[in-house]
Amino acid sequence: MLRISGGKIYDPANGIDGAIKDLCIDDHGKFVETVSGGRTIDAAGMIVFPGGVDVHTHVAGGAINFARAMTPEDHRRTHAFIRTKSRRSGLGGMAPTTFATGYLYAGMGWTTVNEAAVPVLSARHTHEELSDIPIVDKSTLTLMGNNEILLDQLEDGEYERARNVVAWYVWAAKSYGIKAVNPGGVAAWKWGHDAKQLNSPIAGYNRLTPGGIIGNLARICDDLGLPHPLHLHCNNLGAPGNIATTLDTLQHLDGRRAHIAHSQYHAYGGDGWDTMSSASKQLADYFNSHPNLTTDAGAVLFGDTVTITADGPWQHLLYKLTGRKWGNLDVENETGCGIVPYTYRPSNLVNAVQWATGLELLLLIRDPFQVFLSTDHPNGGCFWRYPEIIKLLMCADFRKECLAKLPDAIKKKITLPEIDREYTLYEIAAAMSAGPARALGLKNKGSLAVGCDADLVIYEADDNVEKMFGHPRYVIKGGEIVIEDGDIRETPHGREYIAKPSYDPATEEFMRPLFEDRYTMSFENYPVEIERLEHPSIQTCKPAN
Amino acid sequence: MGGKVTCTLGEVKQRADFIVYWGGNPAECHPRHFTKYTIMQKSKFLPRGRKDRTMVLVDIRETKSAKAADIFLQVRPGKDFELITILRAMIKGQAVGDAQIAVAGLTREALEDLVQRMKAAKFGCMFFGMGLSMTRGKHMNSAALLTLAAEMNAFTKFVAMPMRGHGNVTGADVIMRWQTGYPFGITFNRGYPRYNPGEFSTVDVLVRGDCDAAFIIGADPGGTMPQPAIDHLKRIPTIVLDPHVTHTSKLARIHITTAPQGIAAPGTAYRMDEIPMPLKPALKSPYPSDEEVVRRINEAIDKKPFWLPEGSQPQMLTAQV
Repeated sequence: MLRISGGKIYDPANGIDGAIKDLCIDDHGKFVETVSGGRTIDAAGMIVFPGGVDVHTHVAGGAINFARAMTPEDHRRTHAFIRTKSRRSGLGGMAPTTFATGYLYAGMGWTTVNEAAVPVLSARHTHEELSDIPIVDKSTLTLMGNNEILLDQLEDGEYERARNVVAWYVWAAKSYGIKAVNPGGVAAWKWGHDAKQLNSPIAGYNRLTPGGIIGNLARICDDLGLPHPLHLHCNNLGAPGNIATTLDTLQHLDGRRAHIAHSQYHAYGGDGWDTMSSASKQLADYFNSHPNLTTDAGAVLFGDTVTITADGPWQHLLYKLTGRKWGNLDVENETGCGIVPYTYRPSNLVNAVQWATGLELLLLIRDPFQVFLSTDHPNGGCFWRYPEIIKLLMCADFRKECLAKLPDAIKKKITLPEIDREYTLYEIAAAMSAGPARALGLKNKGSLAVGCDADLVIYEADDNVEKMFGHPRYVIKGGEIVIEDGDIRETPHGREYIAKPSYDPATEEFMRPLFEDRYTMSFENYPVEIERLEHPSIQTCKPAN
Repeated sequence: MGGKVTCTLGEVKQRADFIVYWGGNPAECHPRHFTKYTIMQKSKFLPRGRKDRTMVLVDIRETKSAKAADIFLQVRPGKDFELITILRAMIKGQAVGDAQIAVAGLTREALEDLVQRMKAAKFGCMFFGMGLSMTRGKHMNSAALLTLAAEMNAFTKFVAMPMRGHGNVTGADVIMRWQTGYPFGITFNRGYPRYNPGEFSTVDVLVRGDCDAAFIIGADPGGTMPQPAIDHLKRIPTIVLDPHVTHTSKLARIHITTAPQGIAAPGTAYRMDEIPMPLKPALKSPYPSDEEVVRRINEAIDKKPFWLPEGSQPQMLTAQV
């Protein structure tokens, strides 16, 4: 039992904007009206937020583990956690180890993370890594946009079959929702090609286009009633002028709900590297007039990082552009991944445009329940640097100082210098917690209301915003004080949220011969056993009709 | 240099019309490889199976695998790195001298033919074994072959992957990486993971006599390591967990017989392409699993005083020395 007394509460899910009130937590880790007994934290003068929710990150599984293999030079120089009685050892940096990932997220006040890209074939691996990430609660998204068995059904116009196949896969992976990355492009990459035209048939298909995959998957998500809408990494990521593809994609969604991943990478004007510019205004206008869409910023921060994505063809291009190490892993039938360590430099005009574009999207999309704080960790920057982004959002003067350090030629390419908006604490709480929780459909997260999970973070008010958000005074997860005065006190295991959509039982027999033809493991061994998940929590699916 | 361009074995089965085995002998060391994953498989894109595929074997001598090969290239021992470098030059149309080709032990015609076939392939896959990774040049040979595969992507789809050893060596690599960042050669002697093959690899630690106890699970260093390492294992308390009584068991202080993994004990193994496979035991064993034994040992250790003084709470290091 716990009482937080006298803190200034920021709870956008319930419209509370700095009111001073007490919070009470029971022994089951939920907010309640009152408690008697237990500890009281005197939070007078402090600021209280719901725990952070990272809607799009890459922290567990084959792809991030591949990146760990590729960056020993970063492991060697980065933050190290020493083994103590309550804490396992680990390394931070670009591709943190599992225990360190939990400590670093919790250390910033983040209590829920969504692993955004999981191939079903290695889902077992992802769940094992998630079990080794302490404290935070988790969910995962299954990669479906390049699943050839699915694509074949869509090519043949078999919508019902396709819907059943997707539902079967989501449950086989024991995951929470559906992710599509460069639909059609990653399948084409199996032959060394890509899919850059939304309305052209994909390599190897006569009719099926990326637009067709997107429209069908968005409809399938709604028909299955998954708590989170289709989570989409659009075609043509990173390419100058890709704003056209992004807007075209949004129009393909035809009014359906969707979440657009790391939109910064999809908001460029121009027609080449020299003319590349920010097209954030066009994209922001679309979001501002379409409230059923959400996005995470995928903001860029200057410095070293490692890019990890299922977008294999893009990573081959990045390797050719930079000459850096290139990792690639195509996954039979399903997807792929590409990994390239990368450095964003302020002196590089393209990187400078990217840096500005991410911030512009966060500032121009008005509703913080529509645009969320993310760097597509580790692609745009490491998650433990989120406090730097918060500072950039809250302090226009600081933004102007940073802008002054960029090359002069940037001025014609971006609109950031004209933007004076400063995020309030309420808006930060929405963009980092309440908004992503709502988009994910996690009703007990991102909110300090009675009945919700007692995941919260208490900051000491400080004019130095980066310091304030980087060093919370207390972090509470499920009613337990996990961080106090910078120390890790407790390391409870988090839950894993999974969805159980319905499918026709005949789907199994339908899948079996297709599976045996495409895959190289036995059908019985493929679905992940529920026993492998640490504290699974099954979320209900409410089909749209 | 650095990185790896690869795929899961199902992609090889589906698409690979050009397969190279370099420094490996799958017929004897990975006996189901041809039939399950590579040359014998039929697929949607390669409906005639073996007839739609070309297999090239590169080795210093003709092994049993040569019978299955369409082309056998006998490279001079210790000259794999030179051969790979020549190929990397030839694929880009760079001139290579006769003397350089002679060093590798092959003819210009054979190499020109190979390069032409590689570029004409729809999907090329190179598997490499210890004949490459453990001979003169070691990891530089592996890096060179991986670089060749990466560079071939300028012309056509190409991948490469190592033929991993027996047992669950891939699983150990995968788990060590997610928990520590490093695949092997790790020390925790400062309380956090540090990596230096050659300093912290098992053979080096044993030969130097740096450890004062040894805990060996499912491996047999007493049968394979140099004498100074074996002598050290005899000197210190050595504990062995294994289904068999091994060479190491015979010089150990304690041997605990455990149930064989995958046969009588459940778990997960990671295949050479890092895909996790559940192990479902078919038999029962009177012996405990390795997991049960390790858990019980951990519980006993937890009752002993911790390695740090009571109440000390070292902060995170922001930069390693």
